[in-house]
Amino acid sequence: MKKILFILFLALTNCTLFAQTQNLNKKTKLLVYYFHITDRCNTCRSIEAVTTKVLNENYKNELDSEIIVFKTFNVEYPENKYICEKYQAYGATLALTKIEFGAEVKIDDLTNFAFSKIHTEEIFTKGLMDKINEYLK
Amino acid sequence: MKIIKKIKFTTLVIIVSICITSCNSTPNSLESNLQSDSIPSIIDTLTAPISITDNTNIENTENTTASIKKEEIPKILIYNFHVTNRCASCIAIENATKKTLDTYFKSELDKGIIKFSILSVDDDANAKIAEKYQAFGSALFVTRVFKGKETTSDFTGDGFKYAKNKEEKFIEILKNQITEYLK
Repeated sequence: MKKILFILFLALTNCTLFAQTQNLNKKTKLLVYYFHITDRCNTCRSIEAVTTKVLNENYKNELDSEIIVFKTFNVEYPENKYICEKYQAYGATLALTKIEFGAEVKIDDLTNFAFSKIHTEEIFTKGLMDKINEYLK
Repeated sequence: MKIIKKIKFTTLVIIVSICITSCNSTPNSLESNLQSDSIPSIIDTLTAPISITDNTNIENTENTTASIKKEEIPKILIYNFHVTNRCASCIAIENATKKTLDTYFKSELDKGIIKFSILSVDDDANAKIAEKYQAFGSALFVTRVFKGKETTSDFTGDGFKYAKNKEEKFIEILKNQITEYLK
């Protein structure tokens, strides 16, 4: 009996965690996740702002049809603990996740790229768009 | 008797001729030497060049050895840039970097093999170095200088990602890179 309860518990936990990260449309090809702490600096805010701008200006249709899913998470909120662990996001982190047939194929951590290029917006924009286009193929 | 006189005369003639010849030849050779070189220059030629050459060689050898020794040891320059109003992550990056260096690279810091600089990008005095590294806000760069060649790694992203809430991970990443650069 204990074993069955334990298995049920594990199954439920996994389902919940799966739902937290994988509530995906079948069309979804790309997850764009941005993580941040509560006390944010200008650079961190800029990365989020420019990423939002790039997506809204260039991938509006993909966002609306959920081909691209864009989400932001505060790493200090308890409800985001699992997803932060999964992405190893303990502070500002920009990650792209490629999805194929509802399953994750690859996680691409763009944090270093973001922090080194964000001060030249056009370079950051081009680099981010190149990546997004690659994953949308 | 006549024969003896003849022998004496011949001997005398020979001696006188020898004397004359030898007296003439010596001044000629000196004259030629003195004409071509002055005395100090001769002394220079005989003594100075040897000592100078020796010294130069020693100096060169020492310089070469010293420069080889210097070149053989890579130097690590660590630059932590920040703005005036610093956020928690930025402060955490500085603290974690200090902790990494003090814990694992104290002797390299003391010897000057590793140099750690904390620079405000808002200070005009740092404009040139900030421009070189394209540092406009918080940033952490580790540069290896070896045989006149610079190799730089940017740890800004890792810093913001880990330094505040996962310090040990950041320290590990930084430590590994510095260790690699010291090889």
